[in-house]
Amino acid sequence: MSDRLLADWQAHALNLESEINKVVVGQESPVRLITTAIFARGHVLLEGDVGVGKTTLLRAFTRGIGGGYQRIEGTIDLMPNDLVYHTYLGEDGRPHVSPGPLLSEGENLAVFFFNEINRARPQVHSLLLRVMAERTLSAFNKEHHFPHMLVFADRNQVEKEETFEIPSAARDRFMMEIPIVVPSDADVMESLMFDTRFHNVDALVERVPAGILQFDQLNEFAALVQDKVQASPALRRYALNLWLATKTPGQYGIQISGVDINRLVIAGASPRGMAMMLRAARVNAWLNGRDAVLPEDIHAVFHETVAHRLVFSPVYEMRRTEIARELLSGIVNAISVP
Amino acid sequence: MMINSRMLSLILVLLSLHGMPAALADNKPNPQVLVTEINPARDVGYHVGDILHRTIILKAPASYKLLDTSLPLKGTEKKYRGQNQGVEVRSVDISEKQQGAFNIYTLKLQYQVFTNNVVVKPSQLPAEYVKFGGEGRVFQVRIPYWSFRISPLAVYGSVKIENDMSQLRGPLLLDNSQQRLRLWIALGTLALSLLGLLYILGNRRWLPRMGGEFARAYRDIKKIRKQNLGLETGMTRMHHALNQSSGGSVFSADEIIARKPAFASMRDELNQFFRLSRSVFFDATAKHQVQGDPQQWLQQFCRHCRDCERGLNK
Repeated sequence: MSDRLLADWQAHALNLESEINKVVVGQESPVRLITTAIFARGHVLLEGDVGVGKTTLLRAFTRGIGGGYQRIEGTIDLMPNDLVYHTYLGEDGRPHVSPGPLLSEGENLAVFFFNEINRARPQVHSLLLRVMAERTLSAFNKEHHFPHMLVFADRNQVEKEETFEIPSAARDRFMMEIPIVVPSDADVMESLMFDTRFHNVDALVERVPAGILQFDQLNEFAALVQDKVQASPALRRYALNLWLATKTPGQYGIQISGVDINRLVIAGASPRGMAMMLRAARVNAWLNGRDAVLPEDIHAVFHETVAHRLVFSPVYEMRRTEIARELLSGIVNAISVP
Repeated sequence: MMINSRMLSLILVLLSLHGMPAALADNKPNPQVLVTEINPARDVGYHVGDILHRTIILKAPASYKLLDTSLPLKGTEKKYRGQNQGVEVRSVDISEKQQGAFNIYTLKLQYQVFTNNVVVKPSQLPAEYVKFGGEGRVFQVRIPYWSFRISPLAVYGSVKIENDMSQLRGPLLLDNSQQRLRLWIALGTLALSLLGLLYILGNRRWLPRMGGEFARAYRDIKKIRKQNLGLETGMTRMHHALNQSSGGSVFSADEIIARKPAFASMRDELNQFFRLSRSVFFDATAKHQVQGDPQQWLQQFCRHCRDCERGLNK
């Protein structure tokens, strides 16, 4: 029975991917990673330049997942209470309070889309930190639950003015940080320029059939995937070695040009981060029709699930993206399996 | 020159009766004269113009003298059955010495061949008669003839060489230079082939590109198989060799070929290896498609990798 369920859901997931790829062209890898995060029940942070399609991509997924959807724009004057409630003067001239984006959908909230998250203040990050980790919020003397909620966020990595660096604790709540880059294929680039269907984002997103997935069954199904997809002892040893290498890369012979490897890493991947990586790897194996995790499944999600969790010495933080890429590639290259 | 032992026998020279009335009157036998011949070493292969040397030693009692007038004359040619023999006396040289009660005469004769034929022709140095005189009597001594063959200057027609059984000619040798050349080429090819076979089968580092990662892995995997340490140990060793050879951890055939294009010809086998690895280490239910004993296949696969490493697989 469960095998059939796994096969049915796999068909749904691949259908979702297919529909998204029709709308957001040239982003097959990020689409696969976001699909993986959805079924691993992990929050996603997209990072990229301006106008590369981050928001379009997340909106398209949101439509495909179905359920309640809320969105908020990160601004420097955004306060935590803006996420929880609105106050306004009603027609009767008296003040009124209405639920904010987090509360308005209640338990049906499936996707909370935080646009330009790095423009929000650390206080907002702090609130989000709890919501993401516990999927609960205390407000109006009541505990609110968001069991189906996923946070999709994006940030502009180019613009630094009026932005706040997301603290490592908040970054660690995201299962994946996915870089979005402009497609390199010339045909795709030409299509993005001349094909008029890409000019109207709202109409474009409307092309994705709504509710391809049943958002309220995702938690249950995700647990089934984690239960059915096995990890052998050899793979467990491999994953453990990868984790240890993120803490002390120098001991594994990893070298990065212009970097003192022994002083680079202040904190390696966290236990939560590695657990998330294995969750994502299991989903990747399932999406590829396997019931056991392979090293390839780990490689498919390793960079996106681990890079943003590493804490580097401040002297290397400015080159974070480049160094993290080299470090993780070096780790994969150095650690052998079996 | 050699002395014919047969000719060293004593020849009893009979006195000729006609023209020797004194002898007849005495009725006594002629004195013994010892005739020794020293003839040419070979008796075949003479051509027109060749000169043959013959030495005759005559030992006669001191009371008898050789009569010079009986010696062969220079320029004379003997006839045989009315035909000139074609062998002419070229020179005659006589010397004499006394030895006790005997006189020793050494007669050196030279003959020259003046005949030729299209086939081998029998001929002879003719018999000569010399006379001795003394004590009132004269008698004649015969010097025997000596046979030899005159060869043509060129072979005429087909010659059956087997019929020429002369022991002096020696064995006739066929030209075997071509066969010798072929033999050396074959030996050289054999040596190179053996060297190549040793290179292919050898596991040690004594030639370039030997003793690489896969050669060492091949030795280890053979030992692992003999010691029955299991497929997992062998697979681990093979993974290690692939990683070392590629300069880092590799997880697919494409990765290996990207780093080492020489392995492109082994793409199918590499894919099969990784499928087997998946089955052994990660997913026991995965199908690997290896027929027969996986350990034996692994050993063969490692050997193919070793050949590839040496540039033997193209």
